[in-house]
Amino acid sequence: MKLDLQLECARPGFRLAADLHLDGNAAGVFGPSGAGKTTLLHALNGLLHPRSGRIVLDGEVLYDSSMHLHVPPHRRRVGMVFQDARLFPHLSVEGNLRYGERLLPAGERRIHFGEVVELLEIGSLLERSVQHLSGGERQRVALGRALLASPRLLLLDEPLSSLDRRLKTQILPYLRRVHHTLGVPLLIVSHDLGEILHLTDILVVLDRGRVAGHGRYLDLAQDPRASGILRSSGLLNVLRLRPIEHRPEHGVTLLTFAGAPPDTATVVAPYHDGSDEEIDIALRPEDIALALRRVEHISIQNQLPGEIVSIHPEDSHILCVVNVGTDLLVDITCQAMEMLDLAPGKRVWCLFKAHALQSLALDGMGSAYSHKSAVPELINE
Amino acid sequence: MTFGLGPEEWAALRLSAIVALWCALAVAVPGTLCAWLLARRQFAGKGVLEILLHLPLVLPPVAVGYLLLILCGTNGPLGGWLKHTFNIEIVFTWKAAVLASAVIAFPLMLRSARTAIELVDRRLEEAARTLGATPLRTVLTVTLPLALPGIFAGMVLAFARSLGEFGATIIVAGNIVGETQTLPLALFSMLQRPGGEGGALRLMIISMLLSYGALALSELVARRLRRMVGVER
Repeated sequence: MKLDLQLECARPGFRLAADLHLDGNAAGVFGPSGAGKTTLLHALNGLLHPRSGRIVLDGEVLYDSSMHLHVPPHRRRVGMVFQDARLFPHLSVEGNLRYGERLLPAGERRIHFGEVVELLEIGSLLERSVQHLSGGERQRVALGRALLASPRLLLLDEPLSSLDRRLKTQILPYLRRVHHTLGVPLLIVSHDLGEILHLTDILVVLDRGRVAGHGRYLDLAQDPRASGILRSSGLLNVLRLRPIEHRPEHGVTLLTFAGAPPDTATVVAPYHDGSDEEIDIALRPEDIALALRRVEHISIQNQLPGEIVSIHPEDSHILCVVNVGTDLLVDITCQAMEMLDLAPGKRVWCLFKAHALQSLALDGMGSAYSHKSAVPELINE
Repeated sequence: MTFGLGPEEWAALRLSAIVALWCALAVAVPGTLCAWLLARRQFAGKGVLEILLHLPLVLPPVAVGYLLLILCGTNGPLGGWLKHTFNIEIVFTWKAAVLASAVIAFPLMLRSARTAIELVDRRLEEAARTLGATPLRTVLTVTLPLALPGIFAGMVLAFARSLGEFGATIIVAGNIVGETQTLPLALFSMLQRPGGEGGALRLMIISMLLSYGALALSELVARRLRRMVGVER
């Protein structure tokens, strides 16, 4: 996906002025409510007529106010998954799924029915009426319906926000799977950072109708213009980890950074089902402590050696980037920084409890975590 | 089995049913089209058109009948043209009875279909557009199917209104026994006749049964339609 966009939209009491160049396979649009996220998506899919500007997707001009060009939605091939699913109540699940597919000449169908049904595990629902689907099933059908129209760009407008946390963690892997298997470029809008980071680390940060920044998440987190917005929902480290050893009797699983050489640091997380699939784990920067040397006799299970990359003073606290094989955001107080005399290049140990690790998504589908911890938000069933 | 009905009465009953059926069919397409225009489009003169389309609801039916007589008589602008081009005569035939009740019933069809179309969630139409449906296809595959219960209800209202139509029909179709005499007209004639009270009573009961049956049947169909389009209530 190569997207060049420069537009201005106005509605009563709201104005969006965005200038954006995206190149890549996925990006997340992040911002507080009222920032213009949905407006941006609707300008892209053509449901909204911007006041002025220009939108070019993969070399094709979709909108150009100076040329009076506005390609109507049905000719844009920009798919959309709405927050509220918007399934057609008069059609069965299969009727919904095939709605867009049928409108497409057979030669242009790049995504196949069977494949989507299998990926989303909705084969048993096909005959059903959409009225009797659960929230999670509805969103899966909506996702499948959008995919089967073979879009060249898929827009996701807070696709999970109507679901509770448990369902979210079950649907997210489907999104990731669909994205990776079918290779459909996607733009996901969310106010949940974890949701976006599970899919991509390229972000567009919107604030009150303006682009406050776009680029890699870690860069944005250190960018004073964008970090305020990112912070509002709490920063996150998202670690892609691969299980290497399960110790159910001790209630823990040992993991290592995915793609890292075998001798790199191990991370200890609460034990789950024993699946060996890679998982995304979220770790809040304020849950990480720094120490100048390894600490003995302590219950904290994770101690990773690293080096301080950069230090960003915020109002009353400090955001550090520490490289432990991958870059970690660490949030500490000013007093802690003075006590430890931290500076870029300094060697430190990052300490965090196993229980500070939260799974973003349950990848081994159907094999949910069964951790009996008192922390309900944690990897649970 | 004649239920004590004479041939004239049977003819009136049959004609009423046929005219009402044709009336319901005749208003369906133009009624739905106008309803969609009023519900979903903005255009200049919309307010005027809206009032014009609703006029038959408030005009005295006799006035409507007179207007149709002027327009569709063999010397009228519409009637003359039909006579010359297709050799079709409308006035004082059963077709005139259909025309009269269709014009009278049109606003009922319009209102019912319009409300139904307005109640269709536009967000579903938007979803269809993003899936590649043209505006026309969106109307045909999303809007109309979802508005179908209301459109059908409008047709039922038109059918029922036609069963009771008297004023416009007697002007433009006349009161010809066996040809244009519908139930209300037969009932009226019976009452004019000395000693016709017994016949009038029979016709009144038949009218009630016919109307009741039609409404009950329509309720059944409407229920099934609502279930079909997923608006169970």
